[in-house]
Amino acid sequence: MKNSKLVWLLSLLLVVALFLAACGGDDKETKDDTTTDTDDKDATTEETEVAADEEQVLNLIMTAEIPTMDSALVTDAVGFDLLNNVNEGLYRLNQENIAVPAISDGEPKVSEDGLVYTFTLRDSNWSDGTPVTANDFEYSWKRAMNPDTASEYGPYMMAGVIKNATAISNGEMEYTELGVKALDEKTLEVSLEKPIPYFLSLMSFGTFLPQSEAFVTTQGENYAKNSESLLYNGPFTLAKWDGTGLSWQLLKNEEYWDKDTVKLTEINYDVIKETATAVNLYTNGEKDRAGLSGEYAMQYAADPELVNELETSVFYFKYNQERNGEKTPLANVNIREAISKAFNKEDLASVVLANGSTAAYSFIPSDFVFDEDGKDFRDVNGDMAVFNVDEAKAAWEKGLSELGVTELSIEILGGDTELSKKMDEYFKSQLEGNLPGLSITLKEVPFNVRLDLDTNQDYDIQVAGWGPDYQDPFTFLSLWETDGGNNQMSFSNPEYDQLLQDINGSLALDIEARWEAMAKAEKLIVDEEFAVGPIYQRGLMFLQKPYVKGIIAHPFGGDYSYKWAYIEGK
Amino acid sequence: MTKYITRRIFYMFITFFLIATATFFLMKALPGSPISSASKLSPTQLAVVEAKYGLDQPIPVQYAKYMLNLAQGDLGNSFQFKNASVTDLIIDRLGPSLILGTQGLVLGVTLGILLGMIAALRQNTIWDYGSTFVAIIGISIPSFVFATFLQYWLAVQWELFPVALWKDGWMSSVLPSIALAMGPLATASRFIRTEMIEVLSSDYITLAKSKGANGFEIAFKHAFRNALIPLVTVLGPLAAGLLTGSLVIEQIFAIPGIGEQFVKSIMSNDFSIIMGTTLFFSAFLIVVIFLVDVLYGIIDPRIRLSGGKD
Amino acid sequence: MKHDLQKPPASSFERIEIDSSHAERISKPSLSFWQDAWLRIRKNKAAIVSMFILAFIIIMAFVGPMISPHDSETQTITHANLPPKVPGIEKLGIMNGVGTLAGKEVDLYEMKKVDTYYWFGTDGLGRDMFSRVWEGTQISLFIAFVAALIDMVIGVAYGGISGYYGGRVDDIMQRIVEILYGIPTLVIVILMLSFMDPGITAIIIAITITGWIGMSRIVRGQVLKFKNQEFVLASRTLGATDSRIITKHILPNILGIIIINTMFTIPTAIFFEAFLSFIGLGLQPPDASLGTLINDGYKLIKFQPHILLYPSIIISLLMIAFNLLGDGLRDALDPKMKD
Repeated sequence: MKNSKLVWLLSLLLVVALFLAACGGDDKETKDDTTTDTDDKDATTEETEVAADEEQVLNLIMTAEIPTMDSALVTDAVGFDLLNNVNEGLYRLNQENIAVPAISDGEPKVSEDGLVYTFTLRDSNWSDGTPVTANDFEYSWKRAMNPDTASEYGPYMMAGVIKNATAISNGEMEYTELGVKALDEKTLEVSLEKPIPYFLSLMSFGTFLPQSEAFVTTQGENYAKNSESLLYNGPFTLAKWDGTGLSWQLLKNEEYWDKDTVKLTEINYDVIKETATAVNLYTNGEKDRAGLSGEYAMQYAADPELVNELETSVFYFKYNQERNGEKTPLANVNIREAISKAFNKEDLASVVLANGSTAAYSFIPSDFVFDEDGKDFRDVNGDMAVFNVDEAKAAWEKGLSELGVTELSIEILGGDTELSKKMDEYFKSQLEGNLPGLSITLKEVPFNVRLDLDTNQDYDIQVAGWGPDYQDPFTFLSLWETDGGNNQMSFSNPEYDQLLQDINGSLALDIEARWEAMAKAEKLIVDEEFAVGPIYQRGLMFLQKPYVKGIIAHPFGGDYSYKWAYIEGK
Repeated sequence: MTKYITRRIFYMFITFFLIATATFFLMKALPGSPISSASKLSPTQLAVVEAKYGLDQPIPVQYAKYMLNLAQGDLGNSFQFKNASVTDLIIDRLGPSLILGTQGLVLGVTLGILLGMIAALRQNTIWDYGSTFVAIIGISIPSFVFATFLQYWLAVQWELFPVALWKDGWMSSVLPSIALAMGPLATASRFIRTEMIEVLSSDYITLAKSKGANGFEIAFKHAFRNALIPLVTVLGPLAAGLLTGSLVIEQIFAIPGIGEQFVKSIMSNDFSIIMGTTLFFSAFLIVVIFLVDVLYGIIDPRIRLSGGKD
Repeated sequence: MKHDLQKPPASSFERIEIDSSHAERISKPSLSFWQDAWLRIRKNKAAIVSMFILAFIIIMAFVGPMISPHDSETQTITHANLPPKVPGIEKLGIMNGVGTLAGKEVDLYEMKKVDTYYWFGTDGLGRDMFSRVWEGTQISLFIAFVAALIDMVIGVAYGGISGYYGGRVDDIMQRIVEILYGIPTLVIVILMLSFMDPGITAIIIAITITGWIGMSRIVRGQVLKFKNQEFVLASRTLGATDSRIITKHILPNILGIIIINTMFTIPTAIFFEAFLSFIGLGLQPPDASLGTLINDGYKLIKFQPHILLYPSIIISLLMIAFNLLGDGLRDALDPKMKD
């Protein structure tokens, strides 16, 4: 056989191939050098940035694409976040997260019954130089209610708030009848269905942003298709966005009325879904901020660049009382109490989640709403549903004897992310350990399957979460109204329903009484009826370069504002 | 042969149609709704939104409409990206996936063939075991672990390549391509080894040897060509798999590819993107399988495709 | 005509007794196909070593959880994220409980005041990785074996029939395959969720639902290649039945490829299972498999490499052993390689 020679030949070939591949790399590297040479602009700007210590460029990471930039259609966090930075409504959340007049020139005039608001607009321009008028608001809001637009958040945010919105969304009235009217170029009159104490904070929400009628109609089908087919009236303008892409840019808006406040000239975004990659890019200096998921948060626990931020989303056990037409064991209040109290929330937050989340002892998150004296709503009721094995066991025994059984098998429905799996395993071990006779089965499914099971009320306990849509406890409390759209757990309590009625009805103008009623309602569902069992308030950990300053995180609406952000000491 | 090809092309259309039909109905059976905030809306409000997208109509009607549009080349609009046409989206996302897939496939298959041939020619020696070892590592370490390693060492530590993103031209494609090449490398080398050994012991090789053909001639002219058959068979699906299956790699290297988008669409019930991508891939696959069948005949003259059992 | 032949003398002949038993004697011992294969595989050292490694892993998969002092499901939160520590070996400077915490090397056992040994360390919930890894091996092996077996049976039968009968049968069967190939597996898998409870059965069905196609394509290709070859034609001319041709002539020739492909199905199945677990159709916790362990572990690669390391080693060993054994089997079963 002459094979030996052949083998050598082949292995030589292999080596050559590998070598060529390596050379190919070198080759490209040198080429790359030349491109940076020709691309002098880029290279030099970067140098001056380091040298002059002033280049106001921020490099950020997003974890998802922008689904849409049409304020009538947006439903997701990324969209709301960007809209908040490229557009501006009547109000805007300031650095202290208080809604302050923005396009509205000072506070509006409010009628005595609290039903009619008259806003005067300040002089401000769209990014193409045309003025922002009252009609832009009227047009945009009505557009969001127009069935042809098929907006989801339009009816959701406006029904029950803006006059006639409920009737319009039920198809009983034309969308043109919406209670918003441009009295003249600069005066906007908004009529409400009933007095809404938190109405002004709503005005900072993405759905209530203005849209230029002339521009939208000219663009037609193409409106908001990419960064070119949009107009901006906020601190920044969007650029280099092709509608579905993974990268885009925010540039300082020279037409913005308050442009002197804006220091950043450029924000570069890339969508990166893998935490490891984000961290690597951060370490490399290509990105200025990187969010950390649980595992990473733990590893960077002592890093000086680690920032912990508490969000306003609360996660809780949703106890289903009726499944497939039959009562579940969870219809028994003692069983619900036992489960709410039978797991160690502190351990869960600090060891299992370890991502900056905190244990939740209420349904309304902390750092979300404050009364006039700056007192957190969270403190009104104190800690409820606290981990207490003895109380849990007592309630459990009582519940079991009421049901006439000694053993129960209950299913926990959870998400399919690694974090939620880990958490579910912890629940199983804690609950089974602390409640004798309980056996837990876990069911972990993708999000769309879970939604389906939720809609069909086909689960026992669900680990669910909720984030606020406006700055008022009502955004949480309204979930459990009898037969409400989100109440897929057959919870019904006349007292609670009455409280909800009063909160946005008879008590709407009496701030103190309303505050108390809301606290009472919260206590009712968390500590008396145990309708839901709070688990944790979500926290976020990320690495942020020390030279990045002034990014403001918001409790609802858009996640961040970069209006006040700047780079210092890079 | 012409008759065979015409018939196959006719079948290709039928297959395509059946895939479209099956996928459509399966998707309609999926739980969940493409309306992302469905749970926040009241039934009447939801009905308005559904009507806009034609989701309120009976499924057969939706099906007929979809097929009519499809016949005109219209794949509809995405649900998750409002205003984005599916055709545009697929075209945008396809480029990077194609580049990575092709590079990974070519690199993997070439190295795999070389490794496989070395192993076959030196059966049961250290060469053989070494090549087996490399191939096995290629499949037993999941590509995402391998990719993480590559990223950490070659990009973060040694700074040879960009860490991620699709911004540095060809350089951006190097690491993901290598990560993708491991699978095809393993498959190719294993199949080539097996087949080569088989072919090397066959009569015509013995004949060629006795006629004094040299090792090179035997290996390439006689053995290699025959060993290609099973490789060609797996290559088609492998290619399609690399295009769709590069999900994790695309995610790790933050590449705007189609694989990652596809899975996301399935998870969010974005019917039009699922349909569009599925149709695109099946068209690709059907053509590849067709070519493979024709290739059989070219590679191995003994295979008669059109012939029945006699 | 006169024949005047001289009669040869009787002495020039020797009479030989015909011993019928003698005629039946064969110098080599008669061996069945499998005995023959066994003889040949015994000579293949790599295959034998692989067999031992496989046997060891399989035994450990069952014995491992039993010999570990810790249970695989008990969560000791205070013992979370400990690196491996083994008595004896710890003195060598490895597996001594030292891990990185916030960038510094510290003895985590000392710090957390743990006086017991976790041989493979613990995970984020303080569960013993040693037991979890071996129990995971058990589950992975089970899923992989069953899935590979089902794939093989369906794939060989389907591909064989399609290739052998050819013509219209082949056309129709291949179009069906193309349709199955075309429909995204993930859609089918998620669909299964709505009427099946997640678990091992669901996983195996999900893996095999399209898994056999690859095998069938390969078998078909091989059958197409062999069915017109001379030895098959010869056999057919001699009146052999289809089933005889398939089992005696074609099957032995394509066995090698079938084995190789089955060896590939095993890791594919193991990782597909991990992927399924990832989207929620997979194993329901606290069950774990090698795939899910690797999935969980790779994110911790920099700080807690032990979570990724052990399952990876086992999976690599399994794969290498399976493949070397496969190679050996292939060589041993090849009819052309007979001595």
